[in-house]
Amino acid sequence: MAPDIRRLSEELARDPSSMVFLPLAEALRQQGQLDVALKIAQRGLERHPRHAGAHDLVARICVDQGDLTRAGDEWEAVLRVSPDHGGALKGLGYVRFQQGRLDEAEQFLAQAASSADGGDMSAALATVRRSSGKVGVEADDVETATATLDPKRLFAEVLIDPGQTALLLDAHGYVLGGMYVDPDGSDVSHEVGAQLSGITDEVRRAMRHLAMGEWRSIMFETEAAVVAMTAAPDDALVVVAASRATPLGLLRRLVARCTERAAGWMTGGMQA
Amino acid sequence: MSSAFTPVLDELTRHRGVRASLIVSESDGLVVDSKLRFGEHGDRVAALAASIFRKARLSARAAHLGAVSFLQLDAEHGRVCAVGRGDLVLMVVADPAANVGLIRVELLKALGHLA
Repeated sequence: MAPDIRRLSEELARDPSSMVFLPLAEALRQQGQLDVALKIAQRGLERHPRHAGAHDLVARICVDQGDLTRAGDEWEAVLRVSPDHGGALKGLGYVRFQQGRLDEAEQFLAQAASSADGGDMSAALATVRRSSGKVGVEADDVETATATLDPKRLFAEVLIDPGQTALLLDAHGYVLGGMYVDPDGSDVSHEVGAQLSGITDEVRRAMRHLAMGEWRSIMFETEAAVVAMTAAPDDALVVVAASRATPLGLLRRLVARCTERAAGWMTGGMQA
Repeated sequence: MSSAFTPVLDELTRHRGVRASLIVSESDGLVVDSKLRFGEHGDRVAALAASIFRKARLSARAAHLGAVSFLQLDAEHGRVCAVGRGDLVLMVVADPAANVGLIRVELLKALGHLA
């Protein structure tokens, strides 16, 4: 058990009515212990039924478990307590998008964009509008232009779940685009890039010794996430991380989409 | 010559499609024990695999993601799977047809023997 989780568990055992269930359930969620996280969050919610953050946490755990209906219910409960809650608006936008209710998704995301803590919703809104056929090539151009101007947003269009993060590194481990955000929300792109420097060369040499042909992907599981890497043009590397609850098949699709996006961007960037 | 790890490696190598199993020191890439079926490149492969595992572990640490529990490298004609504990990395080289789910379970089970 991680030290933080042990400490928080002990604190909650000492005072079951405290709010410590929030960081405890969040830490368990990030470690992929979703059933335990949900149990802790639900118990907390029973004691604090009008706490927006508790409903929001239950909703995010439910998304990780693939229970979008329950997640949507919980975020609606958040909005009844706190109508401008950016996380709930964003979450409902995501749930409605996944459910194919695109008009509602757009409404929630637009509201999230104007809420104080909603953040930049332009990429998610563009995805929804494009899916609903409201905008076509022009929106694509805007997205591409945005990504070209701000390489950090290179994968913003591809990544919808807030737990997903993606990074494009050159052959020397320098960051070309995207962002690698740790579970606390800090940008650790350069640190990750430095540690992965040279990995493609080593993988290629290992494959040659083993007569295994071209390498396709590297995937590793950690306590908090699953990380997948694949090659991009010019010996670049695409690194994608997602919550441990993400099915591996879905992660592979995400990596493929990020790689496609990176290849298009690199080619476009060189032409420019 | 057999070591304390030989039964673990024997068990892993018995699975269909497994070409080799090795225990490697992550810090220096030296082979601690091995069951090889792919010729004379075991030492080089072990060193490279150990380095790849180390890079994965250090990048996970830089991203505050906790310990790496399992690594899988997929290639055109095979795959490498690895788990690690302390300084030791237990790795398996397998054909594409090998049951990677089963290998993963067996590797994680064998992890206890590395302690």
